[in-house]
Amino acid sequence: MTRKPFLLQNPSVLVVLGLLAAFTLAVTLLSQAYGTGLIPTSTVKILGKTLCLALAAVAMDLVWGYVGILSLGQMAFFALGGYMIGQWLMYARTETIVAASLANNPIPPTPLELQQAVANQIFGVVGSADLPLVWGLAHSLTAQLILVVAVPGLLALLFGWLAFRSRVNGVYLSILTQAMTLALALWLFQNDSGFRGNNGLSGLQNIPGLDAVGQATLSVWFLWASAAALGLGYLLAAWLVSGKFGSVIRAIRDDETRVRFLGYPVEGFKLVVFVLAAMITAIAGALYYPQAGIINPAELAPIASIYLAVWVAIGGRGRLYGAVIGAVVVSLLSSWFTGGRAPDLALPGYVVKWVDWWQVALGLSFVLVTLFAPKGISGLFDWLAGILPPRRHGRDLGPDLGALQEQEAKA
Amino acid sequence: MIHLPRPVIGLALALMLALPGAPALANPQLQAVITENIDQIRKPSRRTVAPLVAQIAATGPEGAALLAAWADRRLGVTEDGRLLIVTGDDATDAATGAAVAGADPDMLRPNSGVRGVIESALVVSQLSDPEPRIRAAALDAIARSGTAEHLQALRDAPADPDAALQARKDRLQTLLTIQHDSDSAARVAAIEALSGDVSLDFRAALNPLLATRVMAATEPPADANIAREITPGSDALSRDAAYDLLKANGTAQPRLTLAAQRDALAANIVDGRAGGVPVADLADPAARDRAYEALEAAGTVTPAATEAEAQAAIDAHRYFEVYAEADAAVTDAARAAQTRAQVRLAAMKGIDLGLDALSLASIYFLAAIGLAVTFGVMRVINMAHGEFIMMGAYTGYVVQTLIAGRTLSLLVALPLAFAVTFLAGVVLYRLVIRHLAHRPLETLLATFGVSIALQQIAKNVFGTQARPLTSPAWLEGAITVNDVISISTIRVAIFVLALLFLGLFLFIMKRTRLGLEVRAVTQNPGMAASMGINPDRIAMMTFGLGSGIAGIAGVAIGLFAKVTSELGQDYIVQSFMTVVVGGVGTIWGTLAGAGLIGGFSKVVESLNPGNTLAAQTFMILFIIIFIQFRPRGIIPQKGRAAEA
Repeated sequence: MTRKPFLLQNPSVLVVLGLLAAFTLAVTLLSQAYGTGLIPTSTVKILGKTLCLALAAVAMDLVWGYVGILSLGQMAFFALGGYMIGQWLMYARTETIVAASLANNPIPPTPLELQQAVANQIFGVVGSADLPLVWGLAHSLTAQLILVVAVPGLLALLFGWLAFRSRVNGVYLSILTQAMTLALALWLFQNDSGFRGNNGLSGLQNIPGLDAVGQATLSVWFLWASAAALGLGYLLAAWLVSGKFGSVIRAIRDDETRVRFLGYPVEGFKLVVFVLAAMITAIAGALYYPQAGIINPAELAPIASIYLAVWVAIGGRGRLYGAVIGAVVVSLLSSWFTGGRAPDLALPGYVVKWVDWWQVALGLSFVLVTLFAPKGISGLFDWLAGILPPRRHGRDLGPDLGALQEQEAKA
Repeated sequence: MIHLPRPVIGLALALMLALPGAPALANPQLQAVITENIDQIRKPSRRTVAPLVAQIAATGPEGAALLAAWADRRLGVTEDGRLLIVTGDDATDAATGAAVAGADPDMLRPNSGVRGVIESALVVSQLSDPEPRIRAAALDAIARSGTAEHLQALRDAPADPDAALQARKDRLQTLLTIQHDSDSAARVAAIEALSGDVSLDFRAALNPLLATRVMAATEPPADANIAREITPGSDALSRDAAYDLLKANGTAQPRLTLAAQRDALAANIVDGRAGGVPVADLADPAARDRAYEALEAAGTVTPAATEAEAQAAIDAHRYFEVYAEADAAVTDAARAAQTRAQVRLAAMKGIDLGLDALSLASIYFLAAIGLAVTFGVMRVINMAHGEFIMMGAYTGYVVQTLIAGRTLSLLVALPLAFAVTFLAGVVLYRLVIRHLAHRPLETLLATFGVSIALQQIAKNVFGTQARPLTSPAWLEGAITVNDVISISTIRVAIFVLALLFLGLFLFIMKRTRLGLEVRAVTQNPGMAASMGINPDRIAMMTFGLGSGIAGIAGVAIGLFAKVTSELGQDYIVQSFMTVVVGGVGTIWGTLAGAGLIGGFSKVVESLNPGNTLAAQTFMILFIIIFIQFRPRGIIPQKGRAAEA
């Protein structure tokens, strides 16, 4: 049996990539840097960040929707990616500033003096003046870019290997991933862990060496990068779940024990997807935080990861475009409702202020989606597909020759 | 110098002035002493004033009053040589006790040395005072700041008729003997008499004896009481600290710091060159060294010790820890006593830690038991459990605003919180969880939706600021065993509450029809259903019961923590951990999990005090590793039920 080409087999991938390209083009043409200026820079940043969140949601869908691991620790990988790139952004920028100020001294600084001055500048806020060991590679962009995927990947590998080999699954696994996130967040909250405690890393929106380029242009560049990352990530995820590998991981989701008895190394499959998803999430984070400008340990709070799961569930898990739709719709709606721009809803006797009640509405609608629409928003597409009759071009309705023909059935 | 606190002197004075008829009585003896020594009273000297003070003290209560006023800088002397005690705007004659109007005395301002002598003398006279309160106050004053004079006074004082005061006096005498006696044997005997005692005052008496300082010398100092010799580079003395010591002795030159080198070079730039090296090259440390050496050779900068010289100087000396106390016999005895005290102290701290851990474990137990039971019966994790805890706490708060009596409101709040959260649990079960049977992950997420909605509703209703839930007076305070072991009453109460619920749960599970059915459904829902048990009803009842206990836990937690809408969130992760570590479906498992987590977090906290974040991080890592070895918890379910 010959297989159809990958893209023909999955027409939805083409649709998503086309929509993504169109969206990026439209935003570029409406931006302040490259177009009419209809969309302000802050909105471009929000849209770019939303694309990063969508990528994280795709990774979440990969682990949850396809392998059935409800990981409540994805945001840990997201934030780790952000921290890794943030180290370079902060170090390189501080180095430029410090070098400029030391150049006024009568004697040029030695490399050691320069490093000490940078360390003092960065860590003065937590009462330290030494560069921690974890910042040893912060001066090198290449090294930090490798660390963006390496650190979350290794963490996922270690955690996943420990968890999967002891056959922890289901609710237990969810709680454990949540615990891992919490532990990491608490560790980062400490001043002496070397990541500036609860101050986090800041000033990340300023890219060293690109000071001449304005934020308006940078925001569009980051939008392009985020869109490209989302497109590539989506393609990779779609390719991964379409072949035999995809069948095996879906089988693991549905009945892990049976797949194990069929001779598949279940732990290996789970580990591959878990680590890959962690890396994709980390890349999303590394693109997100330069647009957000600041990262601190609160980003790792367990609740953030649960929100990621909420987006995927509302969008429709088990299909990649569902994750994208959920992340985009819910995160944009959330920022609209909590931003105070949504009009108040006047009920008889009580005025609903959305800033106060959006969380309640989100929580309850989430319960309703879980109860009544387990397929989420993307279930709408199934429903639409059900309205149109399938195009069979007059062939049999069933598998064998005795089955009804389409014309006979209509009669 | 000795400073008797003013209240003591004031009290003594007030009592003396209050003696009936005292103001009218003249004291000719005192008058004579005053007239004779008026010059010395005007200009006292610390060395010579003692006999005069003793003389004045011997004249009776008026003399004591005079001394108290003198030490308190409330004594004035008139032109004609009379002494007046000034209290606010009034003045009385010190010798006759008669009020003097319109006097303008010259106030006496004795220096602190003189005041020390006066106050010691006052304490001595107070020790033999007939009034027990004054004797107790005098002992208090000595306990705060005892001197060698006090020691003598204590020894000279007559036996106290009050047994408790006598015991205190004996103890004080022993403590002062340790510190101030001139006889070495007496001091050693005193130390040995109290050896093994862990009270703060004994440890405080030992500390100055064992205080040491580090000194550097080429040979062991002959006349000093050496504690030990230390090698530089060890924990007790880093090499840098050793060099600082040599610098302080004047035996070594300061080392050249990088900053000093840079400043010296910057100060000596001539024509764009420092020491012959172009300024632009000075970014290289080696070039800086060359430039500095050139300057040194030219004599422009002071020579500084190089690293090698510094190290050689450090190695050329020996370092000794020397006791400030000269008597070796005393320090040996003190060292031995301190070691014994430390061992006992460690044991007692262990007990204290155990009590702390026990109370923390009871809180976790209360918070987690409901979660564990629902997980056992239905295999679902209720993410809204934390919000039920919060609901219970807010119920307590609302009841407190309605009912004034603290005890009564608490007694009403506990069952009411149970009822409210029981109802909420049943509603949640009927509306949501029942429809998601056999889909545990969906249940987890749906209950999470409920949790964020409930949290926000609480925020909208009660506001974001913390609401107080005040405990009744009989729950405030602490039970103190000694200086080390103490536990607050509220924690004892929570421990009792946890025990109560442990008993209640065991009773329900083992002795009632409901418990039997719950156990049956936990083991095998299908089989239980075919035996005529309605699993749906059982699940609902368990869910309600678990939620109800969360409400009770909420009231208990609210009594010592502030009630906010995030109250539940703070405990929910620990509760999950307790369930996971303990193993599901058994009360004993939850108990073991709560004990393990409570104990572990307290131990880590005590090893790393002041850093609760690190403690929590370690605890979670510990749990993740623990799960590797006991994936099903401490007390796993056995048999077929385990795989259900």
